[in-house]
Amino acid sequence: MCGGAGKPEAKDIYRPEPATLARSEGLTAHERWFEVKLDSGRPLGHMPGQFVEISVPGIGEAPISVSSAPGRNGAFELVVRNVGNVTRALHGLPAGARIGVRGPFGTSFPVDGAMRGRDVLFICGGIGLVPVRSAIQYVLDHRPDYGAVTILFGTRSPSDRLFTDETAKWAGTRGVTYMETVDRGDAGWTGKVGVITTLMPDLKIDPARTVAVVCGPPIMYKFVIIELHKMKVADENIFVSLERNMKCGVGKCGHCQINGLYVCRKGPVFRYADVNDVREAV
Amino acid sequence: MIRKQVTRQALDAWVDGLIAAGRVVGAQKKGGRYAFDDLRRAADLCLDYDVTILPPKKYFLPPKEDILRFSDGRYESVSDAAPFTLLGVHPYDMAAIAQMDKLFAQDNRDEHYLARREQATVVVCDIERMSPNIFAASVGTATAADGCDALITRVGRAYVIESHTAKGERLLAGLAGAPDADAVTLARREQLWEDNARLMSRRELRVEPRRLPRLLEDAYDHPVWEEKASQCFACGSCNLVCPTCYCFDVQDDVEWDPSRGVRRRVWDGCMLTDFATVAGKHNFRKNRADRYRHRYYRKGKYVPEKIGDFSCVGCGRCVSACVARIADPVEVYNRIAEVQ
Amino acid sequence: MGKPRVAIFDFACCEGCQLQIVNLEEEILGLLQVIEPVEWREAMSDKSETCDIALIEGSITRAEDAERVKRIRARAGVVVALGACATMGGVNKLKNNFDLHDVKTCVYGEAADMPHLDTMPAMAVSEVIPVDFAVPGCPMSKTEFTCIVRCLALGKTPVIPTFPVCVECKRNENVCRYEYNEVCLGTVTRAGCGAKCPTAGGWCFGCRGLVDDPNVNAARDVMEQYGKTMADLDDRLALFNSKRE
Repeated sequence: MCGGAGKPEAKDIYRPEPATLARSEGLTAHERWFEVKLDSGRPLGHMPGQFVEISVPGIGEAPISVSSAPGRNGAFELVVRNVGNVTRALHGLPAGARIGVRGPFGTSFPVDGAMRGRDVLFICGGIGLVPVRSAIQYVLDHRPDYGAVTILFGTRSPSDRLFTDETAKWAGTRGVTYMETVDRGDAGWTGKVGVITTLMPDLKIDPARTVAVVCGPPIMYKFVIIELHKMKVADENIFVSLERNMKCGVGKCGHCQINGLYVCRKGPVFRYADVNDVREAV
Repeated sequence: MIRKQVTRQALDAWVDGLIAAGRVVGAQKKGGRYAFDDLRRAADLCLDYDVTILPPKKYFLPPKEDILRFSDGRYESVSDAAPFTLLGVHPYDMAAIAQMDKLFAQDNRDEHYLARREQATVVVCDIERMSPNIFAASVGTATAADGCDALITRVGRAYVIESHTAKGERLLAGLAGAPDADAVTLARREQLWEDNARLMSRRELRVEPRRLPRLLEDAYDHPVWEEKASQCFACGSCNLVCPTCYCFDVQDDVEWDPSRGVRRRVWDGCMLTDFATVAGKHNFRKNRADRYRHRYYRKGKYVPEKIGDFSCVGCGRCVSACVARIADPVEVYNRIAEVQ
Repeated sequence: MGKPRVAIFDFACCEGCQLQIVNLEEEILGLLQVIEPVEWREAMSDKSETCDIALIEGSITRAEDAERVKRIRARAGVVVALGACATMGGVNKLKNNFDLHDVKTCVYGEAADMPHLDTMPAMAVSEVIPVDFAVPGCPMSKTEFTCIVRCLALGKTPVIPTFPVCVECKRNENVCRYEYNEVCLGTVTRAGCGAKCPTAGGWCFGCRGLVDDPNVNAARDVMEQYGKTMADLDDRLALFNSKRE
């Protein structure tokens, strides 16, 4: 047992707790949705934007964002892109399979802080929607606490769009502006074509009242932030969720560092004003 | 505090007693250099070594360790922590251990490291011989031995052995019959400390370590990073021999029955090509120069901002381990200080 | 899912990598828990039309070998190259440094022009057919091989280090060969062998090939610092890393 005689192994920060894949469903060719239940029955206790470390025995462990708002039911949801050993293994697991969970880890979108009482602008590229969905759901669950809600979603192609039923519902919700675009359309696509920043110049937002939440591929941040600056949104009111190699999740292993910042502890959600001069950030 | 004065013969007898009673590790000869290893007899113990190839961190954070075992989808923690005595650690390595203690206890307690650490009785010995690249005196780690359980200092032909903690006192129980250190010897020891604190440097850091975090803020685009990194093998040798480097990788390995296996952690290094690569293959620190700079920022800025200590203890191991001869913290930090 | 059906094939090589499999001894029983061998000249007489995994050792040096390896590719699900010869051409590529006719004459004298001695520049298996996984090394390491087999059985991509041998040498607390004033290729060679040669007291021969991003220029530059010449380095590199194209 870890910690020598008398030390409860529950203290081991690296030991995953047992959990079960309750349900899963393919979303796109590369992404799959999972509902996970901790065997203990306790809720995960996360806030939107946080991540968990998911273990598949024998394969390994990987950091994955929680995609559902807290408190919807006892379970939590993940969306996993098939990019490595752990994620590939997850894609192949049937409902009822045993996995391990550590977390939740990291910072969250300020749904109870800076975002409360403000207009909220969500800007998501590709699977950047996955962690942000948790915040969107939270905001919609507590609708009176927020002002106007705008959601921008950009993907490479129409078939890469995630949660199309849910985004359609957002689009039809009063007080929510939902806009989407694809880098390249296909035969059936009648919507907008262009990178996500092409949606931004047409936005009517009040920069003084707006908090922006940004998550997407590494290349996206720089360009989105330039547009936000043009719209006069201050760095204090921009929140970015940054992906890094959060291997241990507990601020030890060093892989996720952005300069001096351990993303697993100080992130993944950062107030942009806190990282705009951190050279490795965006 | 117990403070004894013994001959080498009496010291050896005491060490042999410790070996008979339990596991003792100490510096021994290895291929013309020195390495910490299990002691079989006191005669193998080198208290006059210059520097060991690897620092004693390997006893708390082993190069490879199983941290979890799993079978049928359930994980349990594993630890091989057991009592042992780490004999003859140089003050700079003790300073490094004290830093690691903070880092592994801070925020989230790493029970794997801390369990081993708690089981250890650490005996520091003052430096008798300078290694080719030491600069401990330049960073204030040539003598101070905070955190050790006992301290051995050779004064002429005598050894002063003194306990600093209750653990240390227990270790010194076997010396009960030895005389207490006399005033003359203790005075000579004071002098030796003064000399070591001044002289244990082959090279001089011309900038106060506490000024480095500020200096580095303006040195991000300094030419030294590209210049040095162009010769860098990205082999991680400087990371791996460093007493304050603690980054690790985690891997799973299964038995032939794939439902059973272990999760293992192994030493990693921020200089290695794929250290910051994520599953989608994007490498967030692709350039050698970025990785090279990261290491010096960790030692000089990031870790100091985390725990308050300059994270280079002046052992000079990286200088010796670098085949390309580009890993000299003194040279790099002096260059940074020059232009300011 | 049944056990993957595995066939083992050899081309131009010393068959030392296959021997490593035989040398697994009692571990072979473990191996047989996760795979079913269907063709293996060195250990069994059966032959098979198809297989899930083809393990191939040796380099391709004759036109008929190229045809044969293509046929193997066509009937195998996954192709794994075993050892230095298969993964990068190995020592066989030494001959690519010379005129082929001179090489043949040197070895076979007057018989050099006999049709069965017809040969072409040595190639790695991956230069002829797509290869899914590579087990580097001369010979390949038993530990790495068994680890890779277990990974494949689990559907996991094996992790082959992208860092140099120095990492494993340091983990083993070896004295650096450069401290003995020897030219060691560990600084540019892919790790994964556990730094076997330096740990046994020798220098690294580079049998696992170069890392993905080798700093060969730096390796040349440091020669001077150790009183060596670039020729010293190139001579050592030639054994496993000559004329790699």
